[in-house]
Amino acid sequence: MSECKELKNKDNIDTYKRKLLTTVGVAAATAPVASLKAAWGGATLQEFMQDLFQDHYQRMTSEEIKDTLARIESKAMRDYGAKITCENTPPRPNVLFGYALNISKCKGYRDCVDACIQENNQGRDSQVQYIRVLEMPNGSRDLENSEHYYNPETVPTKGKYYLPVQCMQCADPPCVKACPVEATWAEPDGIVVVDYDWCIGCRYCMTACPYWARHFNWTTPKLLAGEINPTTHYLGNRPRPSGVVEKCHFCIQRTRKGLQPACMEACPTGARVFGNLLDPKSEIRYVLENKTVFRLKEELGTDPKFWYFTD
Amino acid sequence: MRFSFMLALAITGWTTFAANGETQPVEESIEEEPTVPLTFSGYPDAPSFTVAPLNKKIKSCARCHATMETDTTIRLLEDAPHVDAMTHGNGRIWCLICHDEQDRDQLRTFAGEKVSFQNSHLVCGSCHPQRQKDWYFGAHGKREANWDGDRVLVGCTNCHDPHEPIIQPREPKAPPPVRAGLPKMNEHERAFNIWPWITRTEVGHE
Repeated sequence: MSECKELKNKDNIDTYKRKLLTTVGVAAATAPVASLKAAWGGATLQEFMQDLFQDHYQRMTSEEIKDTLARIESKAMRDYGAKITCENTPPRPNVLFGYALNISKCKGYRDCVDACIQENNQGRDSQVQYIRVLEMPNGSRDLENSEHYYNPETVPTKGKYYLPVQCMQCADPPCVKACPVEATWAEPDGIVVVDYDWCIGCRYCMTACPYWARHFNWTTPKLLAGEINPTTHYLGNRPRPSGVVEKCHFCIQRTRKGLQPACMEACPTGARVFGNLLDPKSEIRYVLENKTVFRLKEELGTDPKFWYFTD
Repeated sequence: MRFSFMLALAITGWTTFAANGETQPVEESIEEEPTVPLTFSGYPDAPSFTVAPLNKKIKSCARCHATMETDTTIRLLEDAPHVDAMTHGNGRIWCLICHDEQDRDQLRTFAGEKVSFQNSHLVCGSCHPQRQKDWYFGAHGKREANWDGDRVLVGCTNCHDPHEPIIQPREPKAPPPVRAGLPKMNEHERAFNIWPWITRTEVGHE
């Protein structure tokens, strides 16, 4: 009974929203556009209102998503002067992504970090970096005392090893449980994503994450038009607003099309192995079945899908 | 394998004996000797792949060596305009282990097969079979561009200098910036020793 009522209410709200938007749209079309443009940060009043009433990603209809993507594209043109395409590539059936990293091969070059920044349109001056390469003395694994600001003339430093840490895409992610507005969730292909437009920036997820994988975006990313990566995904590397939480999303805009994540493509040592965990012939499955693998903080039971191995 | 085959033969022989009550001569199995020695041609279980093109240009070795006499004595090549001695193998191997004696534009495996420069994995695998197996299955080396679809694997010599295979240290990319307004943490702060009677050691928990 109550469910019925709720549904009815929701319908009412939707109808109300649609009516309002249409009215506003008509108003915007008839009003002198030039004067309005300045008032709404360069967007039309209609766009502004649509942004304001934009629903959660998982609740949007395909029509609404299409409009949202178009708005993101026009906003990128206004803010950065860059022509981007924002996509909404769906997850592939029978695919569950997994990552493995060979710590005997990682030499701490930070090429992965660099590629990640460029691929994911992170501000060049901000501290938001999805990958942290931790330097630790051989034989230890004290993450809290690890060094990630290391900057010697050449790496690897003798007696040290390197452990890159990024989002582990846990199968039972504590960040998702912590989010009070359900702005973050695990997609069917195992990628934990954030709806940046739904995130309220409370940062509960950051405290819940045991891997320091979530980063708060304090500033709007500073990017030049030439630096921006024009191929973007709604849940991935589209230009984000400031004041939201971001994280590694296994380069959703690339991996859902069959490409490697940018960090793996950039790694000169071949330490990174990415693939479909459900495919018994995949490279990642070979690694898991034939190498001595471990996961960070496995005892917490978050079931991360990021393995480390040595050989 | 051979033992189990013989055992199977023996059991068959015994059962026939038991059934008929008289001995029957067991036919000798004649194993045909293959005329061509069996050589390595990849792992049947490994997903199919192609080898990426070489990332450096190799000068034709035969251009000079065609007119030179082949001297197979192991020696330092002091006057040669190429590598005279190498760190690879710590002096245990020399040129003609991997380079073909007759055709200088080809490599050779330990079994004596000719192999092109691009298929160096067949040569390297003669001595490093475990690495080679990992390479075939994707646990060693690099795959280009995609995780799904055509597999293009980067060959051994694209990353390793075959004469000095250990990869030399190089400069890292820039460290992460510290958030605006915050000073970089020093050694003392990172150690977080707020209780003077508790000393934390580097080795231990995560």
